[in-house]
Amino acid sequence: MNPIQIVVEAFRSMMANRLRTLQTMLGIIIGITSVVLLLAVGDSMKRFIAKELEQLGTNMLFISPGGDRAQQQRMRTGAAPALTMADAAALNELPSLAGAAPVLQGGFNLAVSNESASKTVHGVSTAMFKIRGWKIDQGNVFSDADVRAAARMVVIGHKIADQFFYKTDPLGKYIRIENVSFQVVGVLYGEGKQVDGGDLADYVLVPITAAAANLVRLPFPGNVHYVVAQGKSGGNLQDAIEDINETLRDRHHIKYEQPDDFRIDNLASFAETAQKISTGLAALLGLIGAISLIVGGIGIMNIMLVSVTERTREIGIRMAIGAKPRDVLWQFLTEAVVICLVGGLFGVVLASGAAAAITATGKFDVFITLQAVVVACGFSSLVGVFFGFYPARRASRLLPVDCLRYE
Amino acid sequence: MTAPLLIDIRQVTKSYHSGNVETQVLFGVDLAVPRGDFVAVMGQSGSGKSTLMNIFGCLDQASGGSYFLDGVDTLTLSRAELATIRNRTIGFVFQSFNLIKRMSVAENVALPLIYAGVSRAKAHAKALLELERVGLKDYARRTPNQLSGGQQQRVAIARALVGDPPLILADEPTGNLDTQTSIEIMRSFQQLNEQRGITILLVTHEPDIAAYAKRLMRLKDGRVLYDGPAAEGLRQLAASHEAIAV
Repeated sequence: MNPIQIVVEAFRSMMANRLRTLQTMLGIIIGITSVVLLLAVGDSMKRFIAKELEQLGTNMLFISPGGDRAQQQRMRTGAAPALTMADAAALNELPSLAGAAPVLQGGFNLAVSNESASKTVHGVSTAMFKIRGWKIDQGNVFSDADVRAAARMVVIGHKIADQFFYKTDPLGKYIRIENVSFQVVGVLYGEGKQVDGGDLADYVLVPITAAAANLVRLPFPGNVHYVVAQGKSGGNLQDAIEDINETLRDRHHIKYEQPDDFRIDNLASFAETAQKISTGLAALLGLIGAISLIVGGIGIMNIMLVSVTERTREIGIRMAIGAKPRDVLWQFLTEAVVICLVGGLFGVVLASGAAAAITATGKFDVFITLQAVVVACGFSSLVGVFFGFYPARRASRLLPVDCLRYE
Repeated sequence: MTAPLLIDIRQVTKSYHSGNVETQVLFGVDLAVPRGDFVAVMGQSGSGKSTLMNIFGCLDQASGGSYFLDGVDTLTLSRAELATIRNRTIGFVFQSFNLIKRMSVAENVALPLIYAGVSRAKAHAKALLELERVGLKDYARRTPNQLSGGQQQRVAIARALVGDPPLILADEPTGNLDTQTSIEIMRSFQQLNEQRGITILLVTHEPDIAAYAKRLMRLKDGRVLYDGPAAEGLRQLAASHEAIAV
């Protein structure tokens, strides 16, 4: 028998018992659907996380005061040195850094005429715009001179502009922040999640000096909440961390054996962790799919075994008129593989439908990649061969005389 | 030098093991069948005639002795080689027809050629030719279930003949048929034997059916009781029955 005839035979035998074929296929359909869909979801999730991380910026370092909890307590009372604007200015000069910007932040009441809302306000220096790569849509960023002068100026995100100056030009107008008037000088371009979890479009940025003078009351006026720094692109981030460490220890007069009174967090390591988690999660989802495929494969094996028993007499007839053991083996093996492949194709179609449905909700984009389809088809044929082999071999080892006697 | 015998079995024994119990079915059977012969094998149930038939058909192997089929020592062959022998040398006709129900009549008839590696088109053409010979060409597209018993057996004969084998093994071919149909089937076997020179080995327990053969072999308890002309053998059989009746 040539291969084409074997495949034709397999299809005929499948069509001869449609209900059983469908039942057998169901396990594979479900298995392949879940493998393809879960791989696609895992993949899309990885892409989603990567995109989110990209928005946070690269080579970002997050320097916060207080090495441990006890120090943070002392710092609040002023007993331990905190991070200061002077520290930030010194770090900004480091050659291994693209820049360093101090931040003061807090939630304050914003009001324009009778519209008011509580928002997070960031007091920043001009260096912040440079290292975060924030762009201005309208107007300008406040200047270094404005920062030195503690000018009451504010740069706002799109949503803020829409909320308080709906369809009018916000530039030159005033926003009252805790009843202090700040003039709007610029509107930020774009939106997206930031390091602190806020949305860029929802940002309210004032010169850090103005924040210190009018909004954020710290026991020591020069102190800041944290400093954001960026390593030079192409430079070694580890070197930058060393430099910051050295500079701050020096400035804070920390003796050799004493611990740091600040903490440096590397956002890249967060990113790495997030990537690892999402890769692991994708693998886990794939594994769950694979398990359901194996369950489907066992279903195939069972039904093929039943099929061999049911068709014992047919096997006997075929052997009597000249089918070799190999012919019988191939017949049943091909049947199993064809069932799996057809089931696999159904599964891919179902998974594509489900992916399209998920994407249509607009919350999450799921794409079925060609790679996933190829993997699914390969895997399902493999399942067919693996679980079809035992029943097929059993059929081929039957003795013709026993088969013909079988009722 | 004479032509080699088609079937040449010597001192064939067969025993089955089930658990620790060994049951011997054949106790040294000899048979030499030249080409063109028509042999009926008779015997009561338990005489070993079915076992002998399975050995003739290479469906089962003898425990001892020798079996040369068309000059080939079958006891040394692998399962695949035996399949080839069954495919090329033997045509089977069974009591229960043994057609594959979900295949059409023509496909059933063509199947031995498919296993012989003949292309589908050629196999189909030869199948139609054989169906025409048994008068069932018009039924080629039907399935076996749509045919009467006699028609199904004629399809089975067409399948047995499609590969042009020198030997037909018929195991109680009329066992499931009425008298009239049985006569028709037996006549067609006679024609095959006389006109196409096909050697026929027929297993039956009915003297009426055995009467169509040229030669008779009677088995009893795994041994040969009679081997000779059919007419003489049947006369002896009838006499022994009368003796018992009296």
